[in-house]
Amino acid sequence: MVNKFINGVDAVIIAVSGKGGTGKTMVSSTLVKLLAQTGKDILAIDADPDSNLPEALGVPVEKTVGDVREELKKDTAAGNIPAGANKWDILDYKIMESVIETPGFDLLVMGRPEGSGCYCAVNNMLRKIIETLSSNYDAIVIDTEAGLEHLSRRTTQNVDIMLVVTDPSHRGILTAQRIGELAKELEINFKKLYLVLNRVKKEDEEELRNKVAEIGIDLVGLIYEDALISEYDMEGKPLIELPDDSYPVKTVSEIVDKILNS
Amino acid sequence: MFEDIPVDVSPMYEGERIRAANMFVELAGPKSIGAELVQVAENVEDGKVTVVGPELSEMTKGEIYPFGIKIEIQGEKLETELEGVIERRLHELCNYVKGFMHLNQRDQIWCRVSTEALEAGFKLEHLAKALSVLFKEEFPIIESISVTILTQKEEVEQFLDLAREQYTHRDERARELSDEDVDVFYGCLMCQSFAPTHMCVVTPDRTALCGAINWFDCRAAYKMDPEGPIFEIEKGEVIDADKGEYANVNAAIAEKSQGTVDRVYVHSAFGYPHTSCGCFEAVAFYIPELDGIGLVNRDFRGETPLGIPFSAMAGQCSGGKQVEGFTGMSLEYMRSPKFLQADGGYGRVIWMPKEIKDSVLEFIPEELRDKIPTEEDANSIKEIRKFIREHEHPVLERISASAEEEPEEAAEEEEVEMEESDFGEGQFVPVVTAPELTVPAGGGVKIIFKNAKVYAEKVIIKRK
Repeated sequence: MVNKFINGVDAVIIAVSGKGGTGKTMVSSTLVKLLAQTGKDILAIDADPDSNLPEALGVPVEKTVGDVREELKKDTAAGNIPAGANKWDILDYKIMESVIETPGFDLLVMGRPEGSGCYCAVNNMLRKIIETLSSNYDAIVIDTEAGLEHLSRRTTQNVDIMLVVTDPSHRGILTAQRIGELAKELEINFKKLYLVLNRVKKEDEEELRNKVAEIGIDLVGLIYEDALISEYDMEGKPLIELPDDSYPVKTVSEIVDKILNS
Repeated sequence: MFEDIPVDVSPMYEGERIRAANMFVELAGPKSIGAELVQVAENVEDGKVTVVGPELSEMTKGEIYPFGIKIEIQGEKLETELEGVIERRLHELCNYVKGFMHLNQRDQIWCRVSTEALEAGFKLEHLAKALSVLFKEEFPIIESISVTILTQKEEVEQFLDLAREQYTHRDERARELSDEDVDVFYGCLMCQSFAPTHMCVVTPDRTALCGAINWFDCRAAYKMDPEGPIFEIEKGEVIDADKGEYANVNAAIAEKSQGTVDRVYVHSAFGYPHTSCGCFEAVAFYIPELDGIGLVNRDFRGETPLGIPFSAMAGQCSGGKQVEGFTGMSLEYMRSPKFLQADGGYGRVIWMPKEIKDSVLEFIPEELRDKIPTEEDANSIKEIRKFIREHEHPVLERISASAEEEPEEAAEEEEVEMEESDFGEGQFVPVVTAPELTVPAGGGVKIIFKNAKVYAEKVIIKRK
């Protein structure tokens, strides 16, 4: 659906999903880091109202799409929109304003969920505007909200590659399995659907590999538990600053090679 | 046609965004000032392009500059009324130029030039040239056009003053745009996933009841997405201008509501009021005891004088149902000159929450402003009656006028009123309030009470 103006090649949209706390954001931010190194135009979308992708990427957020939406609703109700202006253009401008631009990548933060009242019209406009905005990038990485809602609301239906992240916990794996099943049920055809096992202890590897083999999603990468990540998390250091030769970055880099070149 | 312009000019570049990482300079936008203005003028030198202030070649990479686009046009059939329409095309046409980003309109524009374009030899002069060619192509009534690009701060500041004056004039005109001035209304089906038989009718004098889109927004939406949920309705035959009934609107609603609703009055709460999905910002409700109308908005937390809160009322008249005496609306519609005009407009309104009264105060006729009570003045029918009598609300004339016509009935009504005043003492409690209430009856008869209120001294609930 999306078209990159400059070379006419379709952008790749990668979504990262899974149960909350399994390491979605670590995988997303590392993906962004690695893709940004290619020099292409990269858009990161933080679609999890409760996520910390901006912190992981080390960029401050001034305004989210949710803020823009509320602002427009408030201005409209108060009659502050000039009579001759139309809301599409205003929204377009405000969304562009909410994009956080860095040399390596741009970031769009969806932010808070809707309040009360009707959001049909504004969401309809937003969908179109974000679609147009997205068409300007070579690759888009979406850090989805935890759980399954992004599937049932079809906010991820144009996604090419879905990476489902899970930790060794039973519930994490269960959520991963449900994501796979629900995608099938709703006939959302991701070009590729992969599983990423995160925070694995070496001694459990074998057992886990057997366990996830049954859930019907191809395992594309296995990230061992890493002291460095815990250290970054403790200190609140952006994960994007993890060194290229650190183990998690190397593993995600292998994942990128596999998913983009297969 | 664009041989002397070093970058591509084509509609395929519409929607192009230039990332900060790929940008040479930013023009206008949130961190600077800028504006665009198209004006009809005399003695326009056709094809003239001027750049006042530094050209791109004199700018520094990564910097932000003030920016103005001033266009003068001349043509036998050109009128100043067309300026706004022509100016609106600037956004699209600027975006035809590859490597030039343009967002929004008026004094809220935001532009960027890509590094790639600069390297190809692109100048602002080329933008001006492209615009003069594109505009003449799009609007053959333009006989001559001159384009001036401003990048010098003082010049842009001066230009802003001039431009803002023009925008104000235009907004005044746009506010005046009424149902009579246009040939096309719009239908909106965005909420049909919730209310499959509901369609919003959007006219210049009536915004969609969610408040989110007006006639101008619909025009833009239809243009951007003709297959989308917003579509044109040719106005066609006017059946009743006062009530706002149109043959084509009726036909459209009959089709889109799968035959559930086949008539609609755009400007009345009676007869065939506009249906609601449930998204409305406010509801107008009939108060039969006083033959007046109350208004309540979504954010109002208390009970309305009918004894029920907004949420309960919303439940009764949403979902695409046409319920006489109730109609959903946007707050903006309360600023419309045609606001419930068939029912008497604000002359019929006898209650509204203070919050909305304050926000639309200047649109309420001056002589009525202190005659309409809010929750601070009255919270029951009895209190409203007292308030509007004390303040001589014109709705009282309606009651006495009908009294003159039908003296007998009036006497009866008076009696009812007296009795009802007793309710206030606490002997009687309202049991049911419903816009429509069907009572089971035998003998092949169905009894329907419209706008019914059932009061009882005692309610006994017995297990069978």
